[in-house]
Amino acid sequence: MSVVELAPSDLVAAPEGRVVTSARVRGMGAFLLALAAIMVLAFGAGVPSDAKATFLLSAPPAIGLAPLVMPVRWVSIALAVVCAGLGAALLVRARPRGSYLTFGAGVTVFIWALLAWAARGNTLNFEQMLAETLVSATPLVYGALSGVMCERSGVVNIAIEGQFLAGAFLGAMIGSATGVLWAGVVAGAVAGAIFGALLAFLALRYGADQIIVGVVIVAFCTGLTNFLTEQVLTPYQATLNSPSTFSPAGIPLLDKIPILGPVLFYQNVFVYGAAVLLVVVQVALFQTRWGLRARAVSEHPRAAETVGIHVLSVRYRNVILGGVIAGIGGASFTIGSIGEFSADMTAGLGYVALAAMIFGRWRPFGALGAALLFGFSISLQSFLAVLNVGIPSPFLSMTPYVITIAVVSGLVGRVRPPAADGVPYSRE
Amino acid sequence: MRARELVRLAKPRPNPSRWRKPAAALSVVAFAASVSVAAGQATSYAEASGVAHATKTGFLACEVTDTGGINDRSFNASAYQGLKVAAKAIPGLRYTFLSSTSTSDYVPNINDFIHEKCGIIVTVGFDMANATAAAAKAHPTQKFSIVDYTYTPKIKNVLALHYDTNQDAFLGGYLAAAMSKTGKVGTFGGQDIPTVTIYMDGWVAGVRYYDKVNHAHVVALGWTPAKHRNFASGSFAGKGLFTNDFTNQSLGKTDAQTLMAEGADIIFPVAGAVGLGAAAAVKQAGAGHWMEWVDTDGCVSAPQYCSIFITSVTKGIVASVAHAVVTAAKGTFQGGNYIGTLANGGVALSPFHTFASKIPVKVKSALNKIRAGIIAGKISLDPNSYPAS
Repeated sequence: MSVVELAPSDLVAAPEGRVVTSARVRGMGAFLLALAAIMVLAFGAGVPSDAKATFLLSAPPAIGLAPLVMPVRWVSIALAVVCAGLGAALLVRARPRGSYLTFGAGVTVFIWALLAWAARGNTLNFEQMLAETLVSATPLVYGALSGVMCERSGVVNIAIEGQFLAGAFLGAMIGSATGVLWAGVVAGAVAGAIFGALLAFLALRYGADQIIVGVVIVAFCTGLTNFLTEQVLTPYQATLNSPSTFSPAGIPLLDKIPILGPVLFYQNVFVYGAAVLLVVVQVALFQTRWGLRARAVSEHPRAAETVGIHVLSVRYRNVILGGVIAGIGGASFTIGSIGEFSADMTAGLGYVALAAMIFGRWRPFGALGAALLFGFSISLQSFLAVLNVGIPSPFLSMTPYVITIAVVSGLVGRVRPPAADGVPYSRE
Repeated sequence: MRARELVRLAKPRPNPSRWRKPAAALSVVAFAASVSVAAGQATSYAEASGVAHATKTGFLACEVTDTGGINDRSFNASAYQGLKVAAKAIPGLRYTFLSSTSTSDYVPNINDFIHEKCGIIVTVGFDMANATAAAAKAHPTQKFSIVDYTYTPKIKNVLALHYDTNQDAFLGGYLAAAMSKTGKVGTFGGQDIPTVTIYMDGWVAGVRYYDKVNHAHVVALGWTPAKHRNFASGSFAGKGLFTNDFTNQSLGKTDAQTLMAEGADIIFPVAGAVGLGAAAAVKQAGAGHWMEWVDTDGCVSAPQYCSIFITSVTKGIVASVAHAVVTAAKGTFQGGNYIGTLANGGVALSPFHTFASKIPVKVKSALNKIRAGIIAGKISLDPNSYPAS
């Protein structure tokens, strides 16, 4: 069918709008039907009729829930019916509105059956699986928010990975040297800000290609942190690279909620901080005058200039703030998790965060969804390996990246970045 | 290559005195590091650190690390420790290293050291076996030693150091099973390669042996050795939990948490530095959760976690690398294969440190008996000789 028509007013109202063709909706429907077939054949008929799977649904400090015991075959077939129904609805209706929600529901149902199948004759700690999802997603949320801050003012920040490394390094070093973890957080933020400022300076003052500057900053941060680790941290490991870590702290009462309580409300400050930042960035960008200005600068800087907005200072401010956010996210790798810095420990997650931002259509909560998806796939592959499902481990380890590629290429469709994203601005 | 050459142009090499000025060295070297990394090359600042140990003449021992880096608390660090031990034994012996940040650095790093006229080049890890063999064949007079590999047929200018770590891992598995309160213990690996899975095989065999002789039902999670295979041939068989990464400690943390969530109370990570992520998870999990460290004595290499290490399943990399370097320096170097075993001290369970008083005497004496049994060849190390719980 034809491309859905977008009125100009739609574009103004939702510049990040996504174009969904009805062919794509049908494709999603067909995919769900295929999943339903797998569920019936592999997870339903493929297991003994008396096989049971047990899901643990509680963890301290929440109020205990009895484990969920499911007969694998019948649960899989029931879920397959649901999945097939959702797929058929997409095929028949083929309307873009709500199609992603329907598709997401279908995939969720599939994953439920997959887990039941993997845990047959066994016990799956579902609660911990959710907790690992959130913890793995946290640095990505920081990275993606950093990207949103920068790109919503028209500057591409490829350097998130480098800002992560710098934040992780300085956070560990200062946190360890001073013995004050909050000092480590501040140090991480400062490290991120420095490289944000460097990116802004080169990109805005000299109009350098932002992609290239970003890549160079990543290379520089990688080299510098590797060098300083070997020359400074390693010889003084005990004093400079042994910070303690923030321990999880429960929010009273909320952490008693079954299932979600321990996952959402018994975490460390970095997780809470990410939640607060999400809301702050969302509100600031879309509800305040400040955000309107930033977005104007990212869409049509010349128009913004003519109404008296100083384009470059808006960009400087946002890019440095973006650096601060990425730097704090970097610190979460060390003082929020492992308790020491080691070379290349961010392992490319800065780039994954960038993908999360794109998948989230340059919106904070969209990016959160993408980060959670990635986090879930990390935790999923870990549990599938322990449950011994018989898939070779390199394939399992690929899962998070395969899902990222599938989502970015197959699902996202055409997303539109801010119009002036990555374009140097000069008054003449 | 081009970036590396640029770096060379930028710093006149045969003038060591310049490099003693820390500020100048720092800035140029930091630049060199960033440039070389940008080009996907190895970090070259290591050369500066070698100069720090330099004397005007003498034997130069060189190490090429794998991607885990020189500070991995594991085999790269151990091999470097071996160089240091050799330097103490032989006055005037200089040593240095090059880090590999990716597998594509192995060949250029080895070639760099050949040009540096290193007396011996120590390469670290199974992954570097092909690069080392190719360089050794192309440069028959250059002496090499490789950690964690054996060549068939032997290469006469390479001393390949291999360790039968399933022997001490068997003891570690027995101990873990004996100490477990939940009846479940867990392991995970860095990568599904023989030098990693040999540990896991031995460890799982030890757990199963414990079950058999004590009529217990301790389950080992994270590794299931394949049923029918030739145990002697090393293993790509079996299924288990792997991070497939030796740098991303978060994955180690996730995997350890998964194992604990599935009931394991003793974790044995075989993943070099990534195991530190597991240590962070185990420490955070608190009372009743312990682990065993791998390759080196964890209480020495990662002392901040000593309180949770029951023991370490070690291999004698330091001593055997030092031996290779010393013999090369003295001119008595002999290529071939060295196999470290419990019998020759090449592999061993480390001291129990903080757990010395917590491990029952009965278990300690059982470990001694098993050790003797393994040395005498009376106890099978094949996990398939024992029923799985």
